[in-house]
Amino acid sequence: MNQVGRKNPAGVLTGVRRVFARRTLAQREAIAGYLLLLPFLGGLAVFRFYGFFYNVWLSFMDAGAFGAPKFTGLDNYRKLISDSQVWLSLGNTLKFAAIAVPGVVVVSLLLAVLMQYRFRGESVFRAIVFLPAVCLPTALILVFAWMFQTQYGVVNAAIQAIGGDPVSWLGSSAGVTTVVSLLVIYLSFSVPTIILYAGMQDISPDLYEAATLDGAGPINRFFTITLPLLSPSLFFVIITTAIGTLKLFDVVYVLVPPIDQSVSLNYAFTLVYYYFYVGFVTIGGRGYAAAISLFLLLIIMVVSGILLRMQRRLVHYGEDG
Amino acid sequence: MELQYRVSWWTYLIVIAVGLVLVFPFAWMFATGLMTTTQTLLVPPNVIPSPPTLEGTQEVFNRIPFFTLLLNTIIVSVSRSFITIVVCSMAAYALAVIKVPGTGVIMVLILALLMVPGDVFVIPNFAIIASMGLTNTLTALVLPSVFDVFGVFLLYQFFRGVPRELIEAARMDGASHPRILATIVIPVARSGVISLAILAVLFEWKDLLWPIVVNRSAEKLTLGPGLALLRGTYITDWNVVMAAGVMAALPMIIIFLVLQKQFIASLARSGLK
Repeated sequence: MNQVGRKNPAGVLTGVRRVFARRTLAQREAIAGYLLLLPFLGGLAVFRFYGFFYNVWLSFMDAGAFGAPKFTGLDNYRKLISDSQVWLSLGNTLKFAAIAVPGVVVVSLLLAVLMQYRFRGESVFRAIVFLPAVCLPTALILVFAWMFQTQYGVVNAAIQAIGGDPVSWLGSSAGVTTVVSLLVIYLSFSVPTIILYAGMQDISPDLYEAATLDGAGPINRFFTITLPLLSPSLFFVIITTAIGTLKLFDVVYVLVPPIDQSVSLNYAFTLVYYYFYVGFVTIGGRGYAAAISLFLLLIIMVVSGILLRMQRRLVHYGEDG
Repeated sequence: MELQYRVSWWTYLIVIAVGLVLVFPFAWMFATGLMTTTQTLLVPPNVIPSPPTLEGTQEVFNRIPFFTLLLNTIIVSVSRSFITIVVCSMAAYALAVIKVPGTGVIMVLILALLMVPGDVFVIPNFAIIASMGLTNTLTALVLPSVFDVFGVFLLYQFFRGVPRELIEAARMDGASHPRILATIVIPVARSGVISLAILAVLFEWKDLLWPIVVNRSAEKLTLGPGLALLRGTYITDWNVVMAAGVMAALPMIIIFLVLQKQFIASLARSGLK
């Protein structure tokens, strides 16, 4: 540029202008970018950041139905630790997760294996596998409530037909646990199935061929090749299903609605359900509910942390994974 | 592959058995929906309604404002889907294409927020919406969810794959950023945009906690929470509840069957969440 400048003084000016123009161009680009980001970041600022800190603030308050919230320090947290309903809800939540997560893994593995086969009617089968994921969950939860109805439900009718005694499904702890777990599995196996299906497609057929030459049967091949190579997808499925179940609300709310005032509520309370119950069914519990929601966040972080640590230890990553 | 997965007669046996189990709740919903209340109280139950009747279906309209709920569902799903795409694609464009200063920080923030369950925000968002005077409105159902970190994250990955030359060439021709976003980036990354559109609709269908908290009036609810109203309000007439379930689920099942490929691809991507 110096050379150009020496030959032609006007060139220096153009150069300066160009540098200047480039700088303002970069600035203009940045301004355009921030303008495009504005709605998103603005929304996050209100509904996420302000919301989160408001929640933390509220958790130190006694927020009654009338009047301004009163600062009560750690009272809500003290109450939380001594509230047996919280621990009962946590226990239920963990119990549902402990049953539903392995259930989802087994069902989606079975379905993913079946989808590997090229049979006639394959596309119908695939549509059926996805129906529960795209249908209105409330409708399906209501169907289960009806199927497991004590007096007229089809499940008890089937049990009686084979000579068993009818079960009070929604009136006993074991019954509620069974129906809730079945529903969670039914409503959430579809996505894991595609993830595992895609994972199986990525396994090289050569490996199966080599194992067959070594004399391994299909079941042996499934456990020595498919499962280990699938472990990253499997862990992903486990983590997402576990977190989903820890946040469980719709299933328990529709199965055992809060208007019942029955003991069944104690069988059905999950952390989110109890949080909803304290915050929006009973009156004046917003501050305490905020504390429960932060407790839920803590539990989810702890469980994800434990699962991620296990993943590092147990998951087999191939050379390319 | 051939070797590991050879189809035999027992493949069909398992497939048919599994398929029947998976379809049973749907079949039972249809069957009960076509029964009279008396027929639902038979012990042992009739599996096939005889004679089938639309009594339950007619009764649905007396119990819940079905058409209002359906219309609300359509309005809320479409607007949530559309506004989410506008907000998220603008943000993803700024991050993936313009790469504004601070992109790294914003991406870390997005990933952190992806980990936080939305339920934590129900109480504060209710307070915010109430202070705006928006409780019991359809806007309340849409507003907090369109600032979707998952949507930005998804589109960010798609937008990064748009060839740089296309964008540079358009810049040379003097096209503005919104124009490039609308005419080049979104069409090239359309599979990502379609996925987000479908997922926004699916998330809307699955929402229950937020709608019942923010909208107490049945006239301002969507079908999912609206159906929940049928339970417990009266002595439950299961034929009515099931008929309502069929009426609510059927349009969604049809949309799914028509757009099956796109739905499955979108659900596969929702795994990122």
